[in-house]
Amino acid sequence: METVINDYVSRELVQDQSLLPLADDTSLLETGILDSLGLLKLVVFLEERFGISMGDTDLLPENFASVNAICDYVRAREPGRTEATNG
Amino acid sequence: MADGRVARLLRSAEGVAYWGAVAPVLARMPAALGYRIACWRGDWLYRSHAAKRANTERHLRLFLGELSRSAARHAARDWFRFASCEAVDVMRLRHRARPLRRLVEIEGREHLEAARAGGKGVILCCAHFGSYNSALSVLHTSGVPVTTIGRWQYKYTAGMSRFERRFWDWVLARRVRRHRQRPMIEPWPGRIEVAALAASALRDNEVVTISIDAPPLDADKARAVDVRFLGTHARLVPGVVTLARLTGAPVLMCSVYRSADYRHQVLEISAPVPMAGDTAAAFGRCVAEVSSAIRRSPASWVYWPSPVDFDNLGMTPPNRYTTPVRRLIPVGV
Repeated sequence: METVINDYVSRELVQDQSLLPLADDTSLLETGILDSLGLLKLVVFLEERFGISMGDTDLLPENFASVNAICDYVRAREPGRTEATNG
Repeated sequence: MADGRVARLLRSAEGVAYWGAVAPVLARMPAALGYRIACWRGDWLYRSHAAKRANTERHLRLFLGELSRSAARHAARDWFRFASCEAVDVMRLRHRARPLRRLVEIEGREHLEAARAGGKGVILCCAHFGSYNSALSVLHTSGVPVTTIGRWQYKYTAGMSRFERRFWDWVLARRVRRHRQRPMIEPWPGRIEVAALAASALRDNEVVTISIDAPPLDADKARAVDVRFLGTHARLVPGVVTLARLTGAPVLMCSVYRSADYRHQVLEISAPVPMAGDTAAAFGRCVAEVSSAIRRSPASWVYWPSPVDFDNLGMTPPNRYTTPVRRLIPVGV
């Protein structure tokens, strides 16, 4: 999952080529990689690729702070994980 | 300097008195009388704000070359009248906006309904043009779920006291907020969730409004594109196009025109604007629509008095005029 998300962010969102290759713990907010429209692109990608659905309350900066943070968030929201959590 | 400060304080006090005490009374009068009195106040401001009047008239002539001197003077006077009438519009938003609904006609509603039938929501592209906040409230109370992307001016105008900010929130923002489907989506620097919140409203087949003529914030300047606007070049942020492409929502234009009697208004909604081509080209079509609305009713555009806003928009007068905007008289905040 880290590779898939890192590839997408590197390909679609990183404007400043000097930031590549992108480390999984690089801050996407402090480096300016992720802006408002970038987040929307990322949300659309994550929903389609991982079959999750994001609500307004999920749109917190900490969920998208880095590739690692995004992966943690997606893992917590994946359908299988939700069913397992629900028991 | 001291005179300037006193004059600014007096103007500020007059504005507070008008919005806080006079306009609510005018809004309860018969419309013909209430708006007539608002126009008198506009005429008084036109006469007394020499610098603002001069800047408005000069900008009108610089950017709308076809305007004669007397037409520019007339449009500048109307600019002050419209600003006064806007306060009355806002005060008529009480009782689910019924008092204002009687005065605002919605044209092109069929375009909006056809676009919403697609189920992907609608982006209503506006400008800081006419009494758009109140007119959009009327649209919302007529049964269309409206959410607005925008910043309240009073929250980021430099030099405003806490009291003034609270006052504008109480007198203006809370009345408009009441007639929106969701809280205003405010694109401040660092608020990365803005576009995703708008997409969420669109996903629920709501109408999201966005004004495309705002001077870009420093944080957004890198995303701004060069477009033809009012016969010259301007730097504007094409977020509306990206949002439309990512969500599949159609983009419709909307403009609000005030009639010659000053009390009746028309909210015009266009057919969808084609989003084909590159981003700058698609955005250029939206900006061209705004330009033509401004040419149709020059007095309705809010930015005319402010050289700072023209600078932030990256606008310099078309070549046929040689007076640089920077030489115009600066207006105090």
